[in-house]
Amino acid sequence: MFRKNIIIKITIAFIITAFFSLQLNAQRWDVPSNKKAKNSYIKFDNNTAKSGEEVYTKNCKSCHGDVGKANGNKTLNPQPPDLSSTLTQELTDGELFYILNTGRNAMPNFKNTLSEEDRWKVISYIRSFNKKYVQVLSKTDPSKSKLVKINMNFNAATNKMNLSVVANEASGPVVLKDAEVMLFVSRYFGKLQIDKTIRTDKDGNATFNFPKDLPGDSIGNLTIVAKVSDEIYGEIESQTKLTIGVPTDKPSLTAKRAIWNVLKLAPWWIIITYTSIVLIVGLFLVLIVRNLFRISKIGAQQ
Amino acid sequence: MSEQEEKPKEKTRRDFLKQVGIVGIGSVLAGSAIIAGINYDKRKTKGARIKVLTAENELLEIDRNDATKVGKFKAENLSYMQKQAREGIKGKRWVMVIDLSKCKNARKCMSACQDAHHLRPEQHHINVLKMQESTNTAPYYMAKPCQHCDNPPCVAVCPVDATYKRPDGIVLIDNEVCIGCRFCIAACPYSARVFNWTDPIRAEEDKDLVYNPELNVPQKKGTVSKCCFSADRCREGKLPYCVSACPNGVYYFGDENEDAVTNGTTKETVRFRKLIEDNAGYRLMSELGTDTRVYYLPPKNRTQPFKEEDKPEAGEHIGNNNA
Repeated sequence: MFRKNIIIKITIAFIITAFFSLQLNAQRWDVPSNKKAKNSYIKFDNNTAKSGEEVYTKNCKSCHGDVGKANGNKTLNPQPPDLSSTLTQELTDGELFYILNTGRNAMPNFKNTLSEEDRWKVISYIRSFNKKYVQVLSKTDPSKSKLVKINMNFNAATNKMNLSVVANEASGPVVLKDAEVMLFVSRYFGKLQIDKTIRTDKDGNATFNFPKDLPGDSIGNLTIVAKVSDEIYGEIESQTKLTIGVPTDKPSLTAKRAIWNVLKLAPWWIIITYTSIVLIVGLFLVLIVRNLFRISKIGAQQ
Repeated sequence: MSEQEEKPKEKTRRDFLKQVGIVGIGSVLAGSAIIAGINYDKRKTKGARIKVLTAENELLEIDRNDATKVGKFKAENLSYMQKQAREGIKGKRWVMVIDLSKCKNARKCMSACQDAHHLRPEQHHINVLKMQESTNTAPYYMAKPCQHCDNPPCVAVCPVDATYKRPDGIVLIDNEVCIGCRFCIAACPYSARVFNWTDPIRAEEDKDLVYNPELNVPQKKGTVSKCCFSADRCREGKLPYCVSACPNGVYYFGDENEDAVTNGTTKETVRFRKLIEDNAGYRLMSELGTDTRVYYLPPKNRTQPFKEEDKPEAGEHIGNNNA
């Protein structure tokens, strides 16, 4: 009897723990290990926290509420957590950065709307609510980004774009290994990412599959933007113009004849029908006048 | 005495200089007087007073030089802003994609739009509707701006060429030309147009503004107003007011010729045709042949359920009032 009781209690306890851990798992973010270890190149202090607060108020507060007051938007599911909670503060800087970059469900991503600096400053603001937090700075030195050169090579036969990333250090050229590379094509309102985000190999090369059907300007020019993010050299962006797009020169939408277009571009059937009606009516009027003259002439003769 | 008088006077140098001086000054004075007179006369003939009848039926007399000739047709007398608004932006074909699966009825697009175009709260260039097709189908929120048809029925019925289609696809209206007949409101199958029945909300503060048809500000009493696809923002390379105001990533906007649309919330750029193909995008009432420039993505996999309090309004027409 006693043993049975214990077994039941243990089973219940086990089920409850399992249930909670499942719940927790549902809220956890699945962050790749190399992103988890990423650290800020900006030293977090009162100034960065202050400018981070401005960014937070503009972009995050509407859902997450004031940090530490747990007054976020309660209507959302899942509920946006209060960012001073242990659930958030337990995460590494890299994980927080990843969350800002990718977003999930109702949370939008901020990788295109906030600069990397602003994203780190928001994290700095969030960390200012955690007294136990000790920052680990990354090895990134943004001043070294000027040394890096990105060479783009397009192979028309295979439709592949090859990038090689080299830093021209004083001691000689150094290839950037395992650096994150993104390829974009410039569009009117933003940058269109080509293929996926990849990492450079041991020779500092990265190869992207380039689409064959991307429209360029009237002669097929495309503005290609390459973005490299390296742990030591920071973020590097390079731009070139290449004639590898599909030449696009579509006619204007008001070029064709239509009933809604201007008078000069009215449809032929309207022009023909209208003109012939005017001509026929005019002809009848001429005939009538002519007959009236003839009648008066006949009247005068008699 | 007489002998002396008859004797010709000997001209001294002083006398000669005196005479030359008098003649010189005299001729300069006379010359300038003549030139001034001619100029005065010229002005009098060239700048003759003319009689002008104003639109308010007042007969005025003005100097001819101050008058500018008015062309016979309205199109000859457009301002720079009006001309620019008719020409559009070269090589572009604007296109909008509305992802209904993300709309949570935040209505930020509406307030941003009304703010930009100085509209009254009941006037909508864009409206978020509560939709339900039939008793057993799911209700959803649907943002509905002007569809900017490639075959616009509203433009076809305008008797004065006030509303027009631009080469880049935007359908605009020029309030300076509009006579307020409201044919276009009747012709539009999407109910996209509004009428300014009363004085505009910001009439007093806008009265010195130069009219820009691309923004349609200032609004004008007795004329029709409609969504402009934020033509003024497109000119600056910025996303439309509604698109950038959305907090939920509902809107994509871009150029069909570039095959790219940019999300207003995340600023992420994706390929337009792929987005439509992958998500089974559709257009409103395409059976009418209006060929719209606004595309919709179906309201599937929504993260937030349709609000209970909005259900009666959505189901009004199918008798679901108390559902």
